Amino acid sequence: MSKKRRLIFIAVWVLCAAAFLVSSLLIGSAQKSETIKEAMRDAVLHETNKISFFGILDVNPAVVSAYTVTFLILIFAAAVRIFFVPKFKEIPGKFQLLIEEAVGFFDSLAKSNSPHKNYFLGSYVFTAGTYICLGTLFELLGLQAITTEGHSISLPAPLADINGAIALGVTSYLIILSGGILGNGFKGMLSTLKEFSLPISMSFRLFGALLSGLLVTELVYYYVGLSFALPVIVGVMFTALHALIQTYVLTMLTAVFYGEVSEKTPKKDKKTRRKKI
Amino acid sequence: MSLPLNIDWQQILLHAFNIVLLFGGLYLLLYKPVKKFMDERTEKYTKIHDEANEKLENAKKAEAQMEEKLKSTQSQIESDLIKARADAENEAENIIKEAKEAKKKIINDAEEAATREKNRMINEAREEIAELAVKAAEKVLNEKTAKKENSNA
Repeated sequence: MSKKRRLIFIAVWVLCAAAFLVSSLLIGSAQKSETIKEAMRDAVLHETNKISFFGILDVNPAVVSAYTVTFLILIFAAAVRIFFVPKFKEIPGKFQLLIEEAVGFFDSLAKSNSPHKNYFLGSYVFTAGTYICLGTLFELLGLQAITTEGHSISLPAPLADINGAIALGVTSYLIILSGGILGNGFKGMLSTLKEFSLPISMSFRLFGALLSGLLVTELVYYYVGLSFALPVIVGVMFTALHALIQTYVLTMLTAVFYGEVSEKTPKKDKKTRRKKI
Repeated sequence: MSLPLNIDWQQILLHAFNIVLLFGGLYLLLYKPVKKFMDERTEKYTKIHDEANEKLENAKKAEAQMEEKLKSTQSQIESDLIKARADAENEAENIIKEAKEAKKKIINDAEEAATREKNRMINEAREEIAELAVKAAEKVLNEKTAKKENSNA
């Protein structure tokens, strides 16, 4: 590209951008159908906007998001299983390396935190990690859905709904509990039940982290004036980073607690017990 | 009873069902086959590594054995060399001794021969002297006899 053509391109580009910016500011936004208070409240509680779930029942948008994410992940996994896994080479290519890294990362996370009985844990943290990461990034797609009231809404991250976060937190806790029972039997179960605050803390940690991003994004998109350049930074800050951080935090916590409760505690000798007494 | 924060048991269970569904699907479709492939590859390379280590260990053992053999051979060579040197020295001493004895014998023989020759020559000289003395005596006698006869005649 010559210097003159490059200058023309830049000038046209700047002019177009400036025209859209000025016109959008001059025209202003359409009459809001809901106030910011309502938008925020709905983002947190999902009380007003419901989506029909296959015509069976009305659910929060996050449920639809969750099933959409699962559907997309499973389609991708099936495609990989059918078309790529049989062609895997000993010296991996870029795509194979990506898949192997993903599996290997969660597998080594499970192995390093729980040296005993880690196969099941590895597969669970792999699932949870994939779900949290891709589920959070799913929000960036901005897929639209129609509410039961006829409004169009952007599908949120599945874990931005408290019910989704509670489901994942409780499932993780149940996995930890199963690890405790498998590793130490009744004693393991008791030591897991002792950590009764774990499902609550895991659920609300996830919910809080993702909700904060969602609220900031909602706030930014609520005002047209904030819709230039800022969403790029906000999107990266509160979606991409949250996806990675929350994936790491929940999988790490699950692996650590699983390792803790499934670790076999050495039985004390009767003689040493007597001596202590 | 409605729970705060719009917590809904039905939706929690729907989410949980979704997670279980995803867990089973991901495990069967992705985690298990990929992990199996990775484990088999790791096992293969571990086996190769172990075999290489075993071979290295064997090579080290063989090297140690060879070094041991070399050492024993060297010590054997050294002891043989010392023995050979000692034998050679003994041999040389014997040869020198024999040579000295031969020399002594030759000298003795020569001396004896010379003594014999000397004695023989002395004896011959004595005999010649005796013969000459006899001849001179005969000649003197003959002269005396002739003088006597002349004078008598």
